[in-house]
Amino acid sequence: MINISNLHFHYPGSEFQLAVPEFSVAAGEKVAVVGPSGSGKTTLLNLLAGILTPRQGQIHVGAVAVSDLGDAGRRDFRISTVGFVFQDFELLDYLSILDNILHPYRITGALKLTGDVRQRAFRLAEQMGISGHLKKTPGELSQGEKQRAAICRALLPNPSLILADEATGNLDPTNKTRILDLLFERVAEHDATLVAVTHDHELLPRFDRVVDFQTFQSGEDS
Amino acid sequence: MIDSLYLAWQYIRFNKFKTIILVASITLIAVLPLSLEILLAESERQLLSRAESTPLLIGTKGSALDLAMNSLYFDDEVPELLTMAAADRVYDTDLALPIPLYVRFQTRGHPIVGTTFDYFDFRKLKIAKGQPLTILGDCVLGAKVASELGLGPSDSLVSSPENLFDLAGVYPLKMQVVGVLEPNHSADDLAVFVDIKTAWVIQGLGHGHEDVTRTRDSTVVLKRSEGNVAANAKLFHYTEITEENLDGFHFHGDTSIYPVTAVIAVPHDEKSGTLLRGRYLESEDAQQIILPAEVIDGLLQNIFRIRNVLDAVIALVGLATVLVILLVFALSLRLRQREIQTIFKLGCRKAMIGRMLLAEILIILLVSGVLCSAVLGVVDVNAEELVRRLFVG
Amino acid sequence: MIMFVLREKNLMRPIHLLVMGLLLMLVTDASAGDRLSVYTVNYPLAYFAERIGGDQVEVVFPAPPDVDPAYWVPDQAIITDYQQADLILLNGANYAKWVSKVSLPRSKMIDTSRKFKDRYIYATDVTTHSHGAEGAHAHESLAFTTWLDLSLAKLQAAEVYKAMARKRPVSEMQFKQNFKALAEDLEKIHEGIKAVVANDPDRALLGSHPVYDYLSAGYGMHLKSVHWEPDEAPSFSQMNELKQVLEEHQAAYMLWEEVPIPVSVDQLKAKGVASVTFNPCGNRPENGDFMTVMKKNIDSLKIAYR
Repeated sequence: MINISNLHFHYPGSEFQLAVPEFSVAAGEKVAVVGPSGSGKTTLLNLLAGILTPRQGQIHVGAVAVSDLGDAGRRDFRISTVGFVFQDFELLDYLSILDNILHPYRITGALKLTGDVRQRAFRLAEQMGISGHLKKTPGELSQGEKQRAAICRALLPNPSLILADEATGNLDPTNKTRILDLLFERVAEHDATLVAVTHDHELLPRFDRVVDFQTFQSGEDS
Repeated sequence: MIDSLYLAWQYIRFNKFKTIILVASITLIAVLPLSLEILLAESERQLLSRAESTPLLIGTKGSALDLAMNSLYFDDEVPELLTMAAADRVYDTDLALPIPLYVRFQTRGHPIVGTTFDYFDFRKLKIAKGQPLTILGDCVLGAKVASELGLGPSDSLVSSPENLFDLAGVYPLKMQVVGVLEPNHSADDLAVFVDIKTAWVIQGLGHGHEDVTRTRDSTVVLKRSEGNVAANAKLFHYTEITEENLDGFHFHGDTSIYPVTAVIAVPHDEKSGTLLRGRYLESEDAQQIILPAEVIDGLLQNIFRIRNVLDAVIALVGLATVLVILLVFALSLRLRQREIQTIFKLGCRKAMIGRMLLAEILIILLVSGVLCSAVLGVVDVNAEELVRRLFVG
Repeated sequence: MIMFVLREKNLMRPIHLLVMGLLLMLVTDASAGDRLSVYTVNYPLAYFAERIGGDQVEVVFPAPPDVDPAYWVPDQAIITDYQQADLILLNGANYAKWVSKVSLPRSKMIDTSRKFKDRYIYATDVTTHSHGAEGAHAHESLAFTTWLDLSLAKLQAAEVYKAMARKRPVSEMQFKQNFKALAEDLEKIHEGIKAVVANDPDRALLGSHPVYDYLSAGYGMHLKSVHWEPDEAPSFSQMNELKQVLEEHQAAYMLWEEVPIPVSVDQLKAKGVASVTFNPCGNRPENGDFMTVMKKNIDSLKIAYR
């Protein structure tokens, strides 16, 4: 699914350097990326999603050479292929939970908000156990409920690649496990590939593979 | 675009306080100058139409504006008085019909207009209830006076003393309301009309009492001489005119020297008007004749000058408001940076982000526009009344 | 065919009459609707208005026939009628005191004695009143039977004519002709009185009431007035007053406004004073009109100046 080779990236005016000589993820694999803060884990996810452009190197996701795409191409790739789950959920306070889940369909012309999409949203919400909260705003939900809503939003467009950046970082231990279980269920159901950045070592055994960013950068997997 | 509007609407609804302030600010800055424009246009219309319908006005030489304002709009400022002889002077020329006015006294905050029967035909005032003035002591109310005071035919109204300690001068006269006028949408709606002779009675120039030449009460007699009986201050003067005591009312001296505040002159034709004006050209003449339309037009020119200043002030305030609104939007954008980054990550185009923000602005402007239109509509519908209350009184 | 039938049935004459009647009604209705409405405060002015206006005016003098119009007070309904008139003819000289206590439109009011205000006569035997030491007197003291000086009556009639002509210019010629005829008649009466008085300019006369001031002044009569009512016997004080007047003013005749009761006539005869009637004609006479009354008055004067 994912192939990275000879990747180099740095932010303009910053000393930070990201170098990934080799990294690959098989389709349907659930990979955890661990490492110290500031090592570039989130940057890697942004590069995979096409939010950032590498200075050097190749990024292939499926048949798409993401690193070769222009702005519009990377945006279209992101819409059609990637589902993002953020550590702080990034739900919009002024929209209802349902509207948050449907949000990607309102901000891009590429996705059409149809009745079928609404039905899928209701089903996802039911599966995630938040169907009773669809009319509420994020301010009325618990942390766990918010993350479930964020996961619904990420999964609704049927992405083939799900990128989760510290998705359980702000959850209590009970919720962490539960949310991860739900995420894994949905990923499996959608035949998607999951790359998750996490600090929660208790959860690592649940992944197919764990990649230590530091050793990874030296070319070794854990 | 629909999605942009939907998202914008949800954002606006959620941030009610900010939205209300923005809408209120924009509405206010739009409504102020436009309302002022409507009110000024209406005041110009009212003032001018009243002035244009009054061909000529005669008064004592002095402030033409005071003369016009007191005579046309029954202003508090009483011009220097002239006498009834001024009306006789016009009558004797055979060039115009004189309509004397004596606008000096008040009753319950409303001006008492002493005039003659001709005034009502001249101003095309019609009786809505009751009957016109008939005998001394009668009064006819303007439509607004009647509704504000809750009075109608058969009620009574007492004139107000000129000042608190007016012990020896103007004393209250109880007037009988005999009629109420139809609304005229002019200063006439706010006035109480009496025959000019009744106004003189209010002043004390005319009065009623028992016949002192035949009285048996010698304590009211100051002095008896050949052909005359002089009464003293003990003699009781009636404070109300009734059918029973009407006969006892009379005037002392020659009524041609009795006071009036102005004389409306209605020329028989244009030539007569010109000839009449020519008779007041002598510099030694103690009287002046004015064209009310000219005087009021001059007043309005001055008002327009002030309006330019007001417009400039409002423009500056408006500019400041617009800048503040822009600042609010800019700060709002900064606060929403995280949201923008998120939706960008989710695949949103920059153009879409722009459309969302534009949609918010459009909705706020639309709501402000609707409110502004509603307020201006109310101002427009009530402009006549507002102007009368604010400027005419 | 129809005409043949009508003729045969002798229906032409009634039909003629019917058509004429209808036409007359239409004409009358049109005239009635177009006539100027003229209200007056006394009979002489009503007479002048009728003579001058002719069929162009509808003259109304609402005072009842048995009252002195100078002291009559109309009710509210009649005041309203005055307000609605096209012309309101006033005598002036403070006649009809009610006028100063009501609201009438000046545009319709004609003060017929306006042009000779400088010739007003102040009655000397009326008690006025004032207020305080320096107060102005009330206006009870003006004499008001101005028409008894027929030269002044002519001036009043002229004001009536001018007012009507201003109100209805299309009929001015008609009014003018009528006024001329009236003026000639008034002039004849005027000359008639002058001629009688000229017989004995110093003849002393008495007036039963102070209503003959303009007659006396206008024709140079020596007339003094007392205060006797034609329908009341004189009181002791009235007889005393008469005695005092006669001591300085040896009159042989007293002019009465109307025929006095015999008691009064006898009382006067006893004092050497005969009675004749000189009707000021302020109100409408039972018989005749202003002219017939004035002619009778001349006859009375002839007796008084015999």
